Amino acid sequence: MTAYTVYLEQLHAMLAAWSKEHQVYVPTAVEGGYFDFKPWREGVEIAFDYDLAYNTLKRYFLPPKEDLVVFDLAAKTAEMVFDAPKQLLFGVHPYDIRGINQLDQIMETGAPDQYYLHRRDATVVFGLTPMRVAETAFWSSMGAGEVDRGFDLFWTKTGPSTFLVEVGSMRGEKMLLAAGELTPASAGAREAARKAHLKIMEMGRSNALNFDWKQVPRLLDKCWNSPLWQKKAELCLACGSCNLVCPTCYCFDIREEADELLQKGVRFREWDGCMLTSFALVAGEHNFRAKALERYRHRYMRKGKYIYDRYGELGCIGCGRCVRACTTNIANPREVFNTLWEASQHED
Amino acid sequence: MKPKIAFFDFAGCEGDQLQVANLEEKLLDILSHVEVVSFREVMTGHSDDYDIAFVEGSITRPEDEARIKDIRSKAKYLVALGACATIGGVNCIKNFMSPDVYKERVYGTSGRWYSTYAARPLKKVVKVDAELHGCPIDRSEFARVVKELLLGRQPWIPDYPVCVECKKAGNICRYDLGRICLGTITRAGCGACCVTEGAHCWGCRGVAPKANLDAAREAMNKNGFDHKTVRDLLRFFLGDTYAPL
Repeated sequence: MTAYTVYLEQLHAMLAAWSKEHQVYVPTAVEGGYFDFKPWREGVEIAFDYDLAYNTLKRYFLPPKEDLVVFDLAAKTAEMVFDAPKQLLFGVHPYDIRGINQLDQIMETGAPDQYYLHRRDATVVFGLTPMRVAETAFWSSMGAGEVDRGFDLFWTKTGPSTFLVEVGSMRGEKMLLAAGELTPASAGAREAARKAHLKIMEMGRSNALNFDWKQVPRLLDKCWNSPLWQKKAELCLACGSCNLVCPTCYCFDIREEADELLQKGVRFREWDGCMLTSFALVAGEHNFRAKALERYRHRYMRKGKYIYDRYGELGCIGCGRCVRACTTNIANPREVFNTLWEASQHED
Repeated sequence: MKPKIAFFDFAGCEGDQLQVANLEEKLLDILSHVEVVSFREVMTGHSDDYDIAFVEGSITRPEDEARIKDIRSKAKYLVALGACATIGGVNCIKNFMSPDVYKERVYGTSGRWYSTYAARPLKKVVKVDAELHGCPIDRSEFARVVKELLLGRQPWIPDYPVCVECKKAGNICRYDLGRICLGTITRAGCGACCVTEGAHCWGCRGVAPKANLDAAREAMNKNGFDHKTVRDLLRFFLGDTYAPL
């Protein structure tokens, strides 16, 4: 992989140049000691050592609310609307890139989601090797600690003001070299990046799944009737927070609203979540997952088995956002999978 | 023929009708489909001939009951407008005090002249066909529901908690900041406006239909909020919900 050495003092001019054509988002400190992606402008300090972006990055490809179709009630016409601003996400961690990659595949399978794909194509992703691990995160043991695609450039901080930048796409390389030639990375610089990566993988091991993640689908196969589901579900607020912060949850609801003259209108979609009580409500007031237990179990089956059965990887990348988002502390996949694994070890 | 609509108010601040008036140009467009026969916030004149009654405020006096029943008998469709009308709202704080105490506090030595009794939402006295929640109501929601009714569609009101709208807004959870919040049990539809502006959820839209109150209480306690703090916050808007008459 082609790689260049970039110095911190070169970065500012690059950001200024990129932001001429793209809305640039960078990780930065927000209230409460948390970090989140915010629009970059002069004076915004980039938190290269952020542990976790508070909000999921899927909002840049699948916004919380998105217009789909505008229609005219009198003329009986309808037209698709696309809003895909050129944007650059600078500093995305590998596990979040994994999440984006999975969404890419899901959204292209079957009937391709044109809205998602338009936004995705208009978005440049620059990865970043993490320097700290959030206390709720367990991505290192979910096979999500590294990525080999899904980014245009991948940045690793190898010194106080030095980055190794690996090229992931021609688009990325062109943007990197727009302001002039750069020094190709030396063998030593590549080794420094490899060490930085090993270091963070080692740090991530303190919070891990106690077994190989590839065992999760088979484990869940045996756990449909586990008493754990009911016990945990009793504390479920059915607030959907675990769904909505999840980088790989993509469900949405579609509604419409007319204008005040009742002549024109818009059809839009909004995030939905399988933990919400009406998610499975269908015609005739029938709800095929009316019980908290059924909803709670479904989420783990979805993350640990159904997605795997269809796409060959887990629906959980171990970012730990759901762990943080759950007010009653029941949405921790690492804890649930470990508990089920422990219990399964005592069976005949 | 355009449906005739009328606005009425009981114990409340008229803040919900103000929200309707604040729709401004949008309101003028909506008015091309309906005929307003009574709306003292924005017009003079009144007629008893109406199809839809929007009623704000809660019932706080025995004589209010006769008036709301009269409105009910004239209206084909009665919509409760705002927290006082839908859940009793802040008026119900007094339900936890003895009448002597709250009368003295509000009216001083003239308390004995007032026939006030425990506050209650409209549905405790008459049949309510629809509810628009909030303190105050969300004017875009009001406009949307009116449009849905005019188009003959069933109005859509969220039945999930405010947490959903906080996640959509990208807010930092109040509990992650060591603060209390009722968003975990409160019906959404406000766009999580209070949290977005830096406050916490007070519960003004009432409890979501399937809210897990026990779990929410336990979470508040585990996060360090004692019984009295939790109780007082729940009584602020949800007095009638927690201690129904």
